[in-house]
Amino acid sequence: MADTQQQAIQLAGAMIGGGLALGGGAVGAAIGDGLAGSQTIAGVARQPEAQSRLFTIMFLTVGLVEAMYFINLAFTALFVFSLYKK
Amino acid sequence: MLATTVSVGEHPTVKVFGLTINVDTVIATILAMLVVFALGFAVRRQITRGVPGRLQLAWETILTAVTNQVEGTIGPRGVAVIPLAVTLFVFILVCNFFEIFGLGGKYELLAVPTADVNLPAAMAIFVIVLVHIASVRTRGFGGYVKHYLTHPFPVFLAPFNIFINLVEEIAKPITLALRLFGNLFSGGLMIVLIAALGAWKLSSIPIGNILTVIMAVIWKLFDVFFIGPIQAFIFALLTILYFDTAMSTDHDEELVRPEPEPVPNV
Repeated sequence: MADTQQQAIQLAGAMIGGGLALGGGAVGAAIGDGLAGSQTIAGVARQPEAQSRLFTIMFLTVGLVEAMYFINLAFTALFVFSLYKK
Repeated sequence: MLATTVSVGEHPTVKVFGLTINVDTVIATILAMLVVFALGFAVRRQITRGVPGRLQLAWETILTAVTNQVEGTIGPRGVAVIPLAVTLFVFILVCNFFEIFGLGGKYELLAVPTADVNLPAAMAIFVIVLVHIASVRTRGFGGYVKHYLTHPFPVFLAPFNIFINLVEEIAKPITLALRLFGNLFSGGLMIVLIAALGAWKLSSIPIGNILTVIMAVIWKLFDVFFIGPIQAFIFALLTILYFDTAMSTDHDEELVRPEPEPVPNV
């Protein structure tokens, strides 16, 4: 009885931790991508010839920002699938 | 329920001399290496000074982009970084392309080597060790230690400097590895989840299988042609930038960069 209760608490903790990690990561990544995109639009509006160079820098920034999210995702998978032991 | 039917991150293993080796990652890595070798030798055979073929054009594009980046940041003494960056980019790109064969089963027929944490970790450790070696070679051992004591704050804040630099030097290999691993692992995880969703919920409705395939194809297009190349590019670019910060000295202002020739005003 206490064992299933402990298992339930473990599962709940793992799922909540995973959900928090995903949520925080998604918000951060979305805001970061939005900032990078908005600056790129402003730059292209000022100087349309610089479009290709600005795009390269934008994709670089997007990759770095999304990395934080994917690290969070990897940790969520760790919590939900591995740390929760049956 | 879902946690017990979806298995992620498991590899068939073999124990060699007490070490556990993930067999599918090793096989896929060898396959990726052979592909890169084949691309290299193929361009060497058909290399020409005339109109270049497509393969030569691709290699030249990569090589000129990396050379411009290296010469723009490190300067002429960073010539040894160019082959390393090109190799890292092409190898990681080929490894990421294996994602297109993913089926979302327990063990893949062709695993994605960079989705196993060991390969990105090995590459990141390799790069960081080389960066430190280059730093010691450029600055000398005394200069190397002095750099960590005097940046970014003046030397009377030396313990603070050591702490900040220690955190940065530990964070570099960890984020370098985990960034690549996280992106590729989540790609494989998405395919597994789409397959699980298809099997779990969508198999009951008539068009369920087609929906699953459409979702899998859309995700794979995004993952293999967008995320894969971007992560390979970021790994190579960060390698170049780490070499730049490690080999920068306080005498850099004395380096004379050639002035661009003035364009005649017609």
